[in-house]
Amino acid sequence: MFQEPIIPAKPMMRITVLQGEVRVSAGPRVELSTVLGSCVATCLFDPISEVGGMNHFLLAEPPASRAGSKIDEHYGVYLMELLINEMLSHGARKDRLRAHLYGGANLRQGMAQIGTANAEFARKFLDTEKIPLAREDLGGTCARRVDFRPATGRVRCRTIENTLAPETTPAASPAPSTGDVELF
Amino acid sequence: MSNCFDESETKLMHKSTRVLTVDDSASMRALLNHALTSNGFDVEQAEDGVAALEWLALNEVDVIITDINMPRLDGFGLIEQLRSGARHRDRPVLVLTTESSDEKKARARAMGATGWIVKPFDPEKLVSAIRRVTH
Repeated sequence: MFQEPIIPAKPMMRITVLQGEVRVSAGPRVELSTVLGSCVATCLFDPISEVGGMNHFLLAEPPASRAGSKIDEHYGVYLMELLINEMLSHGARKDRLRAHLYGGANLRQGMAQIGTANAEFARKFLDTEKIPLAREDLGGTCARRVDFRPATGRVRCRTIENTLAPETTPAASPAPSTGDVELF
Repeated sequence: MSNCFDESETKLMHKSTRVLTVDDSASMRALLNHALTSNGFDVEQAEDGVAALEWLALNEVDVIITDINMPRLDGFGLIEQLRSGARHRDRPVLVLTTESSDEKKARARAMGATGWIVKPFDPEKLVSAIRRVTH
């Protein structure tokens, strides 16, 4: 009796999505991975075009001089729009997008609840843009690891030791030229 | 003799700059509306190029701020349509976009855009740009 030769499965190509980044792919062997503490990752998936993407952001708290005011949403809206535009350029349609949200933990007791504020921003954004939120794992006090296969929409989210979450500070801007005006 | 201005003079004195923003993201429209109204501008909003042209057919505006990536009619198409007619040929049009490629910026410039602003926008810089192109 012959045995079937063992053919090693083709390896997955894992892409790490760092804070401030956006990655979109339709590759069947691509896995987008990230580790989250207070940060939030949005996973978007279009089941018809089989395209998926992830962003990873942490919004800034207001300065002490404006204590009590809202977090600065400009950067979050920008990273969300960047993710949606990349999805559209890969063949997705906005009215077919489905979303998952992960992260937004408050790792240190007694500190500002910045994770909660980031999670609330993400939920509000999806609601405003009428993008259905299919699944969320937000809040709590534990760091998370998220692995997302963009071509199938499959996501695995598990809690990890908080010490494994990177120390993050909100990105003030994604590029030195942010908001600069060039008049022709 | 009265020291009061009559109604038409008062309106003239307080006429604020009217801005049309064109963006398919409701979240971005909300940020723009807040940034501009709190600086004294009269703000109208459209969700894409088609809606913008429909509104502009019936209304006047001092400056248009448009996104590039939009359904139905994108920012390039909107600029092309505006510049093809006499009515909006000289109207200031600022592009506000996540796009950072030089090729797209050059294309917008060649089509007649007045300026190019990369998101996320800085409200102070945006307000300053509007004042510069409308005075």
